[in-house]
Parts: sequence; C-alpha cells; structure tokens
Amino acid sequence: MNKTVIHNRMLAAVTVLFSMFTLASCATSPPPCNGPQSKNLNSAIGQVKTTLNNGCEAHFDRYYDDLLTVAEGDPKPENKRIFSDFLLWASDEGILSQRQAKNYYNRYFNVKFMALQSEYNNCSHTCPVRDRVMINMERELSDKERGLLNVSHDNEGYYRADELYQEVELVLEATCTACAAGQ
Amino acid sequence: MNALSPVQGPKSSFIRQMITPLCRVAGISLAISLLVSLQAHARNDAPTIRLFPTTVVEDLRQTSSVAKEMETGLQEVIGRLDQQQQLYQESKCDGAEDDPGCQRLAKQLGATYLDMLGIMEQRLPDMEHTVNNTRLSLEKRIRSELGNKMTSWTLQETLLGGNPQEGTSKPSPSMRGRSGMRLSERFRQYYKLVASSSSQTDQSLAVLASDIYLDMDETSELIARTREEIARATLIEQLNQSFGTITPEMMEVVGGVKSILFGDEQSNIVIAGPPPGSIEQEYRSPLEN
Repeated sequence: MNKTVIHNRMLAAVTVLFSMFTLASCATSPPPCNGPQSKNLNSAIGQVKTTLNNGCEAHFDRYYDDLLTVAEGDPKPENKRIFSDFLLWASDEGILSQRQAKNYYNRYFNVKFMALQSEYNNCSHTCPVRDRVMINMERELSDKERGLLNVSHDNEGYYRADELYQEVELVLEATCTACAAGQ
Repeated sequence: MNALSPVQGPKSSFIRQMITPLCRVAGISLAISLLVSLQAHARNDAPTIRLFPTTVVEDLRQTSSVAKEMETGLQEVIGRLDQQQQLYQESKCDGAEDDPGCQRLAKQLGATYLDMLGIMEQRLPDMEHTVNNTRLSLEKRIRSELGNKMTSWTLQETLLGGNPQEGTSKPSPSMRGRSGMRLSERFRQYYKLVASSSSQTDQSLAVLASDIYLDMDETSELIARTREEIARATLIEQLNQSFGTITPEMMEVVGGVKSILFGDEQSNIVIAGPPPGSIEQEYRSPLEN
C-alpha cells in the first residue's frame, strides 16, 4: 500500500519536473530566424517583417541582403519605394534608428556616397585618410551597382554615381596636393 | 644617354611626353578664359566658390600665350623636318648613307632638329615661369575653397550640383588632363562644354580646376626635366652633325612629334557608357539625404 503511494508520488514528481524542464527549454530556445522563402519581393518582405517582430532583429543585415537578392530577380524602378517603405517600417518599429535606416537606403539607392560623411574640412580631416575614404567609396559603389542597377534598373543613377566617384577621386587628389603644399 | 637625341629611338617618347602637356596648357588656358568670361556674361550672381578669380584667369591667359608661341614655333620647324624627311626618303637615301647628297640631306635634317631643340631651350624658361604661376595661383584657390572651406560631404554636393539626377545629361568636363587626349579632341570637348550651357556650375569648375592643377603640376615637373636634358641633347646632335648620319629612329621622332601636334584620330576612341536610365518619374525616398 505504502509502496504504491510512494511510487505514485515519485511518478507525479518526475512528471512535474519533466513538464517544467520542457517548458523551460521552450522559453529559452532562440526563435528560428530563417530567411525569406518567397521569390516575390512583397511576400518576402512580409515574411521578414514577421520574423523581425519575433525576436530576430539581430539578423537584420542578413535579411536585407536576402531581400536585395530577391529583388534582383525582378528588377524595376518601384523596388526603390518598396525598400524605402520597408526601412521606414523598421525605423518606426524601433528595429533600426532613423540614421541606420537612412544609411541602409542611401548606400544602395542614392547617388550620394555615405562614405563622404564628415563634419570637418578636407585639409584637416579627409586628406589624412584619403586612401581609406576612396576604398570605402569603392565598396559603396559596388553596393550602388546592386541597388541602383541590379535592383532598381536605374542605369542613369548608377552611371552618375560612378562618374561622381571618379570626380571625387580627381578633386580630392588635387585638393590634398594643394593642402600638402601649403603646410 | 641623351634623352632628346634624334638618333636615340626610345627617347622619342620623352619628347612626346614633354610636348603633350604644353599643348594641353595652351588648350586648357584658352578654354578656361573662354569659360570664365562666358560665365561672367551669363550670370550676374557671384559664384559660390571662387576657383577662377581674375588673377588665375590672367595667369592662364599668359600661359596660353606663351604655350601658343612655343607651339607655333615648333609646328613650323616640324613642317620643315617633315619636308626634309620626305626628300630624304624620296631620294632613296636609306641604305645609301655614304652618298654625298644623302649626307648633305642628313646634315640639314639634323640642323633642323637642332633648331627644334633651340626653340625649346629658348621658350621653356618662360613656359616654366607661367606654368608655375598658374599652378601656384590654382593651388592657393583650391586649398582655400575646396580644402579649407569644404567638408567631403559639401564637396560631394558641389560636384553633384544640387540635383544628382540632373548632372547626367550634361557633358562632363572630368578627366581631361589625365586622359592623354589629343589637343583637337580636348578643344572639341571644351567647346561643347561651354556652348551647351550658359550657366556652368561650381560642379564643373571644381573638376576643371583640379584637372588643370594636377596637369600643371606634372607639366612643371616635365619642363624642369626637359630643360636639364636639352643641353646634352644638343651636344650629341652636334656630334652627329659631324658624321652626317640619319637613322630611322630620327624619322620616328619627327613622326611622333607630328602626331602630337596635329592629332591622331585613332586615339579618339570613345568607350560607351551604360545605357540611359528609365524616363519614368524618379522616385525620391523620404530617407534620402
């Protein structure tokens, strides 16, 4: 009799412990942060939004890259607006700061180079790091090729960015030579 | 070895190197004067950046004038060299160097070559002086206007000229000095630039000023090197005169100088850019800077 009671109590305890362990493990396991499966940009963005809202904010970079890949499959000018809306949503949701959202957009879809952001004059600030600035611009130009040319079909915009890159290279070379001569 | 001797084949490239910048200087100077004066007529408002004040324009005019004098002098002597070379070839002097008539022709050719060196020697100090003046004036303006008054961001905005999309249809003035473009092509581009727009912006001027400044910098260096070589070249040619010899390399030099002064059509190949973009209304994101 006693043996049966003890056995039942032990069984209940084991069951409770097992349930608690199972529940606890559910609560701590990370959500499955899979990338978008759809090849349609709007659907893919819908999937990414859901995933981002489910605790996968840290994977934003990867999702953005995935979305660009999806958009490259169907390049058109209106993709710019779709990406802009997505980034504004991410900013409104607090996933990105306003500044980050701007950076993500402009790096890929604007002719201007974010690599040239600076608050100090060229002689004192840009010239000492001119090589690095040019390397960063070159990388950004490659992103613009993706955003403007491959995603948005904005050949003219990309052509202007490429031209701007060459003009900046020339003008900075002259400016920094002139700055160095005046020292 | 002597860098300017007509009998030294590889040296012909040095002459090319030296004359090309001189031609550029003349073209650039004249075009800038034209550009700036047209601007003054076209716009009453003061430019935002002052890269070409009257002093710089005056320096450019001076450089233009000196370069033109040298160019004219060289063209005349090149014409003579051309005629003498033709006569030498028509007289079948190749392989008949011992013939007294051919020796006389070779000496004449050498003497004309010495004339060319003489013109260079005579004109180069003036040229060096005016090029340096222009370079220093531009250097000062660029340092002040683009180096000290601008950040890299404002420089970018200046180059874009307000609307990034508008710049695409305008003829770009960029990369002329470094392109190795012929004088005639350069003039054509300048003319297009000036004629197509009565309101040139700071955008083009910044590129133009940079281009000219870097070009002047290189020219300055080349002139100094050339002046060092001329004396030796003259001596070697005077020695050659005693022997009265002429080599195919000398003819090559003459041909090279001619192609520089009178242009070389084959070098004007234009590489096509990407196709024009969509004519749809451009989307502007609220995220754009």
